[in-house]
Amino acid sequence: MHKIWAIVRREFVERVRTRWFWIGALLGPVLFGAVFFLSGQLGRGGGLKRIAIVDGTTTQLGARIAEQLGRSGDWAIRVPAAIGVVDSLTAQVRAKQLDGFLIVTDAALDSGKVEYRGSNVFAGKGALQRPVGEALTVVRLQRAGVDPRLVARASIPLRLETCKISRGTTCGESAAQSFSLAYFMGIILYTAILLYGINVMSSVLEEKTTRIVEVLVSSLRPFQLLLGKVLGVGAVSIFQFLIWGVAGRLLLARRAPLAGGGDAGGAGADELFQVPHVTGATFAVFMAYFLGGFFLYSAMFAAVGAMSSTEQEARQAQQPVAWMLVLSFISMFAMLNDPGSTVAVTLSLIPFSSPVAMPVRWAAGSLPASELALSLAILVATIGGVTWIAARIYRVGILMTGKRPNLKELVRWIRTA
Amino acid sequence: MMSPAPAPSPTPILVLDRVRKTFAGHIAVDDLSLAVPPGVIYGLLGPNGAGKTTTIRMIMDILQPDAGSVRLFGAPAGDRMYAERIGYLPEERGLYRKMRVLDVLVFLGEMRGMERRRARQRAGEWLERLGLAQWRLRRIDELSKGMQQKVQFISTILHEPALVVLDEAFAGLDPVNAQVMKDTVLELRARGATILFSTHIMEQAEKLCEHVCIIARGRKLVDGPLGDIKRTRGGHHLVVGFDGSVGAAAQVFADAALVKKVDDYGQYAEVELAPGADPQRVLRDLVGSGARLARFELREPSLLKIFIDLVGPEAAQAGVRPDA
Repeated sequence: MHKIWAIVRREFVERVRTRWFWIGALLGPVLFGAVFFLSGQLGRGGGLKRIAIVDGTTTQLGARIAEQLGRSGDWAIRVPAAIGVVDSLTAQVRAKQLDGFLIVTDAALDSGKVEYRGSNVFAGKGALQRPVGEALTVVRLQRAGVDPRLVARASIPLRLETCKISRGTTCGESAAQSFSLAYFMGIILYTAILLYGINVMSSVLEEKTTRIVEVLVSSLRPFQLLLGKVLGVGAVSIFQFLIWGVAGRLLLARRAPLAGGGDAGGAGADELFQVPHVTGATFAVFMAYFLGGFFLYSAMFAAVGAMSSTEQEARQAQQPVAWMLVLSFISMFAMLNDPGSTVAVTLSLIPFSSPVAMPVRWAAGSLPASELALSLAILVATIGGVTWIAARIYRVGILMTGKRPNLKELVRWIRTA
Repeated sequence: MMSPAPAPSPTPILVLDRVRKTFAGHIAVDDLSLAVPPGVIYGLLGPNGAGKTTTIRMIMDILQPDAGSVRLFGAPAGDRMYAERIGYLPEERGLYRKMRVLDVLVFLGEMRGMERRRARQRAGEWLERLGLAQWRLRRIDELSKGMQQKVQFISTILHEPALVVLDEAFAGLDPVNAQVMKDTVLELRARGATILFSTHIMEQAEKLCEHVCIIARGRKLVDGPLGDIKRTRGGHHLVVGFDGSVGAAAQVFADAALVKKVDDYGQYAEVELAPGADPQRVLRDLVGSGARLARFELREPSLLKIFIDLVGPEAAQAGVRPDA
């Protein structure tokens, strides 16, 4: 239909022309970049660049700690304990020449107590806990007379390699990859469905408040208008994804210099946020649930727009709809922990949460195809039902002015429309 | 129920046949029948809340009648099949605020079945004509209210509709735009288009309309050619001016067989004739009574008077309030 196509084009062109679209298009990749960059920084020790070790020990503990820390870069210097050294180091921390310093004494061997003073103690703890602990263990063992070679062999650090068993394929991606993929998919789905759903709502509201809708509805059926609108806004979101996708690919290709920063042990960063391997099937699942979720929620948001007369009213009325989506987003974190739990399975079948829940489960762990099919079938059936109801509310609502309808009136709209 | 219009020979452009619409128990339009002949300016008149907008929305297929039927261009209407041939300017107006003038016009032209290129070209011509050419690439919200009204008006007639429906056409227009609107309406009519416009302002309707239909509370009170209505409704009015001598005019005016009501100012009088009275007899009697006349004018009642007589003063009061 020529007219529906004109509606789609108007929604698309007018949206893509706005400054906000391009800000979003640019900001998306910048945000992803920031996440990679930050996680790189955190994994490396939260930005600890230079620390000092105040060595008050008579054993080789101080040297051992320095060596252990020094393994991942030349950033820990050892200074012998002396009167006034703590004060001068404190001054250096204040002057930002140092991030902090460790105070190690012989007592540490028995009590296990080592003191760290620094500008960011949280980062310090994350970065120092393991290497200092390992150094302590080694020195304790040596003191107990254990063969140094044995100690050396016992202190080889753990490298846990994980691999996902999914749908018969072998080790394709690591746990970190699945995690970050699921995590990103969840965030993108939630944000995009909410954002573009609300876009549909404000578009409905604009036509209602300016009364253009009367002219439109005298040229095509309300349902056709709604359809054109949803398709147009949906096309904008896909275009947005396309820009993000291309930008993301370019960014990821240059990820190493960005996140690793070269020197100090960037292993942590890479382990936590590796480039997920996005298979065709994963992409299909993502798009299917994005479109499903978008159609479902934008139909509801359109109904909300049609029953409101002002921006404020709509903001209030959309809350129940938005909350359903927020809940499914929150539950995503539970799902990441245990994708097979009853809660996770239930949420991925309920159509109002499945658009976020199911792709997250899919990416996080293996999933029977039957469950996926069932979830999709429920989603599609619900879209049918919800659209039917929403279209009726829309048809009556767009011509109504004045007070927002209460539930009883809404039911009457749906019945009589 | 009156049969629609004393059958003008050509097929009416628009026929409503016992159309009814009810909202939550309240009857908005009650068995309304009317016929709009082609090529006329037709006024749908009534006080606020009379059902004008609901009637127009049913004509425009925005609302479905609960009963009765709408015929357009001589065929049963429905499913917006005639949208391409109708131009519609709703009572409350607005445009996409962030869109460019030309884009809005092209889009609304497409909504009326125009091809993009043609819509663009016609829109350019109209903008030129109404002095908005240099605003074509500006956003709607950069335009003044008056300019926005012009743009909206262009959007109504861009596709050269055979039937133009204007709901409260002149409400809220500034005087300059009201003039532009009137000129364009007349021009459209001259080119063969039919204009249906609703208003509660009788002075406008009186100047423009050839046919009218007056409704109140959803019911039709009268319809037909304005001249016929004036002749059959409201009786004859006389204006008499004296040139010095009034003679025995007071006696003539007191004759109940001739005069129903008189407003005598001494040298000037407004007279409402009794039903069936012959104005020529009044003239003869006045001359015979020795009065010297400077003026003797047979006057039709104003549409406003007919309207008030039909609708009742309170309803009409609400009706003539120009802002509501």
